[in-house]
Amino acid sequence: MWLYEKKLEYPINIKKKDLKMAKNLLAQYGGPDGEFAAAMRYLNQRYTMPDEKGFALLNDIGTEEMAHVEMIATMVTQLMKGASIEELERAGLSGQYVQHDHAIFPVDANGVPFTSAYIQTTGDWNADLTEDMAAEQKARVTYEHLMDMTNDPDLLAPLSFLRQREVVHFERFKSLRDYYLEKYKKNSF
Amino acid sequence: MNNYLNNYNFMENYKINKIGNDQYKMNMSNSPMLYDPYQGFIRGNMFQNLYDAYKIKEPYEIKPMNEQAEMLTYIDSLSFACIDINLYLDVFPNDKNAIELFNQYRNQQNNLIMEYQNKFGPLFLNNDSLNTYPWAWNDRPWPWES
Repeated sequence: MWLYEKKLEYPINIKKKDLKMAKNLLAQYGGPDGEFAAAMRYLNQRYTMPDEKGFALLNDIGTEEMAHVEMIATMVTQLMKGASIEELERAGLSGQYVQHDHAIFPVDANGVPFTSAYIQTTGDWNADLTEDMAAEQKARVTYEHLMDMTNDPDLLAPLSFLRQREVVHFERFKSLRDYYLEKYKKNSF
Repeated sequence: MNNYLNNYNFMENYKINKIGNDQYKMNMSNSPMLYDPYQGFIRGNMFQNLYDAYKIKEPYEIKPMNEQAEMLTYIDSLSFACIDINLYLDVFPNDKNAIELFNQYRNQQNNLIMEYQNKFGPLFLNNDSLNTYPWAWNDRPWPWES
């Protein structure tokens, strides 16, 4: 089970309303390489890891991703705070207003709803961990694209933090996969 | 008990309150080089060999403006250090230095969390700070409120 900590993993205090960035950030909420997908991917894959190292790592990274889901939702909420219908419309968020008002809903930057087709569980550690490594790289580059789109330090700081977590998670998945390749004497492909 | 200066010079207080330590530099000869908890926290990465910046030259400093925010920054830093060292230990469970460091940061963190909750209200549901009337858990701000 999980115990809630009444704080964010990294603080978010956005002072400037920015509806275009709110829309862009949805990529990392309900998008294919987003935090929601990451959490669901690892927490579903953990049951069929071959040993305790895999159980622990998939469990713990999956749990951290839940904290990242919360950070992205917090950023989107704060960026949209107090936005008028006209402002939402100008930022390409009229569909957001019609369907969800100012509420958070798992869609990507283009409004495409989240689907579990974004993730996979194969029951095979090599296939799953290779997917996880790719997922971390795809999330890393998405954070770079998001950082390219803003110069607001209130956004760059948490985005840089989240991007760095992808770098670390990639390395941990890679170490685990290398360990299993050695342990089970598999070729690397 | 920790000291809090009136001017909230965060980095000075951080040193005075001895959050983190320098020993990891000497001890971790066979282990990866780690940042101090605050330096790791603002980077999103405790591991010096893995840090890889994009776009920004220097990591952004957290600028706590009052005692509550300052204590929370200590807690966030130590909590982050524990999260990141734990992920490493999941894959390398035999690294004694890392286990020692994890427990040192965990201890510091637990003490600070207790002190914080007594002063500013609950972060967790399993704490004495909830023995209040009315019920304190739902007090604002919630984490997503700016």
